[in-house]
Amino acid sequence: MRTLVDWLDERLQIREIKVALFDRKIPKGVGWIYTLGSLSLGIFLLQSVTGILLAMNYSPSPQFAYESVSYITHQVTLGNIVRGLHKWGASAMVLIVTLHMIRVYFMGSYKYPRELSWVVGVFIWLIVMGFGFTGYLLPWDQKGYWATMVGTTIAEQAPLVGPALAKLLRGGDTLGTVTLTRFYAIHVLVLPALVLTLIALHLFFVVRQGISAPPERDKPDGPHA
Amino acid sequence: MLEPWKQKVRQRYDELKKLGKPFFPYIIFKDTLVIFLAFLVIFYLAAAVGANLEEVANPTDTTYNPRPEWYFLFLFQALKFFPGSLEAVAAIILPAMAILFLVILPFIDRGPKRHPLDRPFFTVLGVVALVGLVSLTIMGMEAPMLNPVIHRDPQVMAGYQLYGQLHCNYCHSIQGRGGNAAPDLGTVGARHDRDWLTRHFRDPNQVTPGSVMPQLNLLPEEIDQLVTYLETLGKSEPFTAAAPKLFSENCGACHVIDGNGGEAGPDLTAIRTYRDKAYLADYIQSPQQHNPETAMPGFKGVLTDRQVEDLSRYILSTQRHHH
Repeated sequence: MRTLVDWLDERLQIREIKVALFDRKIPKGVGWIYTLGSLSLGIFLLQSVTGILLAMNYSPSPQFAYESVSYITHQVTLGNIVRGLHKWGASAMVLIVTLHMIRVYFMGSYKYPRELSWVVGVFIWLIVMGFGFTGYLLPWDQKGYWATMVGTTIAEQAPLVGPALAKLLRGGDTLGTVTLTRFYAIHVLVLPALVLTLIALHLFFVVRQGISAPPERDKPDGPHA
Repeated sequence: MLEPWKQKVRQRYDELKKLGKPFFPYIIFKDTLVIFLAFLVIFYLAAAVGANLEEVANPTDTTYNPRPEWYFLFLFQALKFFPGSLEAVAAIILPAMAILFLVILPFIDRGPKRHPLDRPFFTVLGVVALVGLVSLTIMGMEAPMLNPVIHRDPQVMAGYQLYGQLHCNYCHSIQGRGGNAAPDLGTVGARHDRDWLTRHFRDPNQVTPGSVMPQLNLLPEEIDQLVTYLETLGKSEPFTAAAPKLFSENCGACHVIDGNGGEAGPDLTAIRTYRDKAYLADYIQSPQQHNPETAMPGFKGVLTDRQVEDLSRYILSTQRHHH
């Protein structure tokens, strides 16, 4: 083990990485509320694993989508648990990412020098909502179908770009076969690629700059005077 | 050269960092513990509540009232405060402005002051926005959701509301919801025309002798609204008694409907959830135009146009029955 680490260190300087990642000091006063970001990442991993498991048995065509979800629920070993985890994980993801954002907002942690972490974070939040919107249709049941109908009807009302946007989402004038395959592609290819890139950036910023310290009152003789 | 306040921010951060603990093992322990606890909750919900699967999507069922996931409820609820042409304000313009605000926030609110009490404007703004979002979500959970088809046509909407106010559902039911003392209205739009329904509301006994339905003494415009709503129910078109026979003779060897038929071709039960009549009729006549690979013979010249229409209506009327 030791020799393997030495061998790798000689070539890749992995001890430097260990120092930068694990030995970095976290400022005093960072409490439990600061775990929301890591928790978001944990739930994201849960969603990735359960999502991959679901995709292995799911068929993204209106003819078979409902049947395949029903198959996952009733026949696949632990299939109903995996579906349950993915569904409740989605709710948890939205909740925790939002709480994380609220924490950063009220603590003013988006301020200098962490402006970019915040901007990237806002886009991650939007993508999380996008995951929720596109995933809802995939079982092709009444709830998903009609909620998506409402959602795309709303998009249609946007000034100027509305009708084009709705058409792009649905893949035509009506909600049908193409909509399902399109939502599936967005849900499992487009959004994961985008969110992985943004998460990588977000984490890079956090490790590089360090997590923000708890806010302190602005005193005339204080540190910010 | 760094501005002085920025230098101070950095200095103070370095001081606090020196006083802090290393990421491993202290912080990573906290993170892991919280993730573990959250996973326990998610596993519990997945096992105890699970994920439900409703009936298969049915685009013709305009009585279905969709409810979005809880995290989109605020948006759906907000729409109700902006009727008609103003809907775009609530649906698109306000959310777009909110997102833009969030993106540029760190470039509006600058400087060293971070404590919520030192930035009263942004703190109050945040509290107001949060209270708004949470109340909208709670209101959305309590309010009934409406089908978008009903929602779009004010006449249908008014009829739908009258249906509720008059407590029609004490005796009648639609898609299994309501009483069973009186006929099911789920397909009433296919069974009766406007004229019949209007006369029925004026005096039920006149069109259905012996009907126990009370005379409601409705205003003419109220009758109009109710009829417009009822007409939207069960809009699948009528087919003749010959249609199921046409199916078993021409299609049944390869296709299944509701469990009966051959297996060589796809099951056509509930195909209306993803194909419309024009497509189906055209496919029956010349399948190779839509799917060059198919082994299905074309029925152009074999069946008359009227038979194809009849057959399409029949196939589109079929619904999956779930256990």
